Amino acid sequence: MSSPPVTGPATVPEHRGGPGPARFRPRRTPPAGTVRPSRRGVLSHWRQYLAISPFYLIFIGFSFFPVLYSLYLAFQRYDGLGTKQFVGLQQFEFLWNDPVFWLSIRNTLVIWVLSTVPTLFGALVLATLLHSVRRFKGFYRIALYVPNVTSIVAVAIFFGAVFSNNFGLVNAILGTVGISPVPWLSNPWLIKLVIALLMTWMWTGYNMIIYLAGLQAIPTSIYEAAKMDGAGPVRTFFQITIPIMRPIILFTVIISTINGLQSFSEPQVLFASNAANQNVGGPGQAGLTTLLYFYQSAFLNNDYGYGAAIVWAFFVLIMVLVVINWRLVQRGRKS
Amino acid sequence: MTTADTTRPVTGTRRLRRPRGLTAHVFLMVAVLISVFPFVWTIVMATNTTEDIYKSPPKLTFGSHLLENIRHMLNTIDFFGSMLNTIVVAGVTTVLVLFIDSLAAFAFAKFDFPGRKVLFGTLLVFMMLPLQLAVLPQFILMSEIGWVGMLKALALPALANAFGIFWLHQYIQNGVPDELLDAARIDGAGFFRQYWNIALPMIKPALSFLAIYAFVNAWNDYVWPLIVLTDPSHVTLQVELAQLHVGHTTDYSMVMAGVLMAALPLVVVFAIFARGFIAGATEGAVQGS
Amino acid sequence: MDLSRRGFLQAAALTAAASGLTVACGGGSGSGGTKNGKSLTMWYWGGALSDKVVAEAKAHFGSQTKLTAASIGGDFKQKLTTTLAAGSSVPDITGIKGEDIASFLPNAGRFLDLNDLGFKKISSQYLDWKTKLAQTEDGKQIGFPIDIGPTALFYRADLFRKAGLPTDPDKVAAEAGTWDDYFALGSELKKAVPGTYLINNMGSVFNIAVGQGTKRFIDENNHFIGDQDHIRAAWTTAVRAYKLGIDARINDQTWNAAIGKNLGTEVGAAWHALDIEQAAPHTKGKWRVCATPGGPANQGGSYLALPKQCRNPEEAFKIISWILSPANNARGFTDAAIFPASPASYAMPAMTGPDAFFGGQKIIEVFGPAAKAIPVSYEAPADAAVMAPYFTELTNIEAKGKKPDAAWKDAVGQAKQIARRQGVN
Repeated sequence: MSSPPVTGPATVPEHRGGPGPARFRPRRTPPAGTVRPSRRGVLSHWRQYLAISPFYLIFIGFSFFPVLYSLYLAFQRYDGLGTKQFVGLQQFEFLWNDPVFWLSIRNTLVIWVLSTVPTLFGALVLATLLHSVRRFKGFYRIALYVPNVTSIVAVAIFFGAVFSNNFGLVNAILGTVGISPVPWLSNPWLIKLVIALLMTWMWTGYNMIIYLAGLQAIPTSIYEAAKMDGAGPVRTFFQITIPIMRPIILFTVIISTINGLQSFSEPQVLFASNAANQNVGGPGQAGLTTLLYFYQSAFLNNDYGYGAAIVWAFFVLIMVLVVINWRLVQRGRKS
Repeated sequence: MTTADTTRPVTGTRRLRRPRGLTAHVFLMVAVLISVFPFVWTIVMATNTTEDIYKSPPKLTFGSHLLENIRHMLNTIDFFGSMLNTIVVAGVTTVLVLFIDSLAAFAFAKFDFPGRKVLFGTLLVFMMLPLQLAVLPQFILMSEIGWVGMLKALALPALANAFGIFWLHQYIQNGVPDELLDAARIDGAGFFRQYWNIALPMIKPALSFLAIYAFVNAWNDYVWPLIVLTDPSHVTLQVELAQLHVGHTTDYSMVMAGVLMAALPLVVVFAIFARGFIAGATEGAVQGS
Repeated sequence: MDLSRRGFLQAAALTAAASGLTVACGGGSGSGGTKNGKSLTMWYWGGALSDKVVAEAKAHFGSQTKLTAASIGGDFKQKLTTTLAAGSSVPDITGIKGEDIASFLPNAGRFLDLNDLGFKKISSQYLDWKTKLAQTEDGKQIGFPIDIGPTALFYRADLFRKAGLPTDPDKVAAEAGTWDDYFALGSELKKAVPGTYLINNMGSVFNIAVGQGTKRFIDENNHFIGDQDHIRAAWTTAVRAYKLGIDARINDQTWNAAIGKNLGTEVGAAWHALDIEQAAPHTKGKWRVCATPGGPANQGGSYLALPKQCRNPEEAFKIISWILSPANNARGFTDAAIFPASPASYAMPAMTGPDAFFGGQKIIEVFGPAAKAIPVSYEAPADAAVMAPYFTELTNIEAKGKKPDAAWKDAVGQAKQIARRQGVN
């Protein structure tokens, strides 16, 4: 899937002039001088409605309606070719009792944690370092961002070659120092690790740019005050940078949650099914993410109703996780 | 604190961090190596034969088989045909996204109208929706209107780019002064004239960021084309590339030649526009100051 | 409701289109009204048909019809299903894999009945059991048999010689008459040539062992029988290979790196010869073929079908019956190891000749008798989907060291679930 939009500005605090230290106003604060035409009813604003209508029409037709329709499908038995048959909650009952579904959820969560934590932490550290240097700034930004403009397909093929059990570069290097080949692409944990590494490689530079934007907006006076209090760089990082960056971190965590839980292309390309390997998602289905299971059920087994049920149950799960994340970060803020 | 402080925050930090400069460079260089290594190694694999790759220890230097591998790859898949399809889809999508999103963002950012908050709120909610929820019905929808297998089935859903509106909205709000719009209105310019003559020229950096963002996304999209492009003569580069990889007889050096040639255009385009792109990405953040 | 929804969708889409979208769209083979189209498209996958025969068919019918053949990579069944569901850009002729044909039977209405086009008259030329597998209960014929996949034991004569084992096909066949004998042979091979394995993974043994029986996972009355003795026996056979340590446990894409190196034997269908040949060209002349331990089975073997949207059914049928005539089938065997479903081909010179890759062995002497002795079994539409968890669990044993008994229990449990989901009771 196309990666969900992520950028810094969303939660970057705005610093308008004003007394006292920078305050983080809600970004939905209307701009000071918004042009406010007198309210003469809906019709007088037809130009604005016309201006936003292309988006909303396409949106309703190709996103909103399909999302609702998939909920309808989740209550049907449908093979994509024959007729639909209403089955009530049966698909969800199957889902509840389907160990493969729960396995796919576990896989997805593990891959998500293994990739998101290093990605965000690495991005924050790199952004801080980059913010602190004077020279080669532009070069670093470009060089570190470039993994993100490559396609997942290309990267997955590459990782598949490098981590291949029998002839990959990684095992060859390990071999020269006397370590026997590591089954990167057959051990269930290592499979997840490779997928997570792939995602980390792709997304660290991207999040770094977001954090950098946030760091640049932090007023220097705060750091100067901290320095006067005798705080070292590490303490400054944990006690000033991270708390101030909290809104941005929250934003990246939410976006990474949505993004990371949607991993599909990585295992799909990495373990492309072929005659030698009939397992979608690799050996032991260790790389079978929920979306890959959805794809398998809907498009390979022609079980469209079940596919819709999988993806809706999964959506509810994402929402729960986002709320939990949000709560955690909020609570951390209060304490 | 005055505004001047916030616009030049770097000076202070620099003073603060100077002693750690070298360590920072070392760490950053390591990160750069990690980030660039796959590109180098892809070239190594693409310029050698598959036997060289399979060998243990594998060959670590550039070889001389690049052209041969590319020729082999071109014989296996319709590389340029699928690339042309990708360029068409990504190009059309980008142009339309820019137009649709900037127009809507302008209306949202600078005008108040009944339902504005609610409509904008739904937009934010839908930024969070996993697209997969819609994939299945989108496919059925495309079947019903007979677009399965056609490139327009790729472009249309991509046009509902909520992120673009949101992003431009933030930018326009801070980057386009109300005074200019007021003056234009006094001169008799209507909504669309204000949009075209005043707002658009002022948000060029944000537009160029969004353009690259939309183009890269369209270029790299894989799942939707995989599902919807059933006609083998009309697939996109990513789908074609993934097909190189399937099957018993994976000829890695040939596949890597394909990976290299598919990744190269984007990296080159990015390298050319990178300065503006990253400036656009960070600039929006400090617009308000 | 349905109509109004469609109307709404179309309106939404049209509005969107009107807002300025013009995209170059594919000139796919639309479902034109006339049924005497001059150009026909054909979908198949690499190795499904002989490229040479297809090229000749293009020339042969070129005066009346322009035949465009597209070799489809990726997941063929998914592509075909989604295209059929969409109803646009549907090919006029399409291949269907043997393991997928059953799942298309409930939707036979999507295809033309080949009997109407004259298949009945020539059906006697093709193996009856193969033809029947592409037939609905009411006798509608949706698939024209291309090939079958009689299995055999492929082995490396050079490695066998090194291990002091017999190398002559008849002798190997005699020594490896049952799975147990075969595994014993493998243990000797492994002892003599360390690092050599007998089988690539358990799944391949399980697959063939199931195919050696007359019952599969679902019976004619739509009952799940995947927990019964015949499946359990196949499972136990596969697990035994694992326990003996002769299983290479290859479950990723490294098969093609291993096939030329440390795999001493492969049990597979006739078409598997091409896979080996392409993956390990340097082993030319070292391989031999003999009868499958435990008797022949069928693995794969495909069909050609004409979707309902076919623009010129008469001509399309003429083309496929030409491509799949016994004489052309025999050539397919020479070109691409496609083993014909037409017994008359087996006696033709193109098939009886020696095969250089197999050191000049006349491999028809192994595959011919196997083809005729394949047991016939009923294959339900959901069979392939129900079988999947068994493979997964076998892989779990190999990758995670899961206990075989636990794996069996989980496999049966999941298979039952899928069966229920697919409407099997």
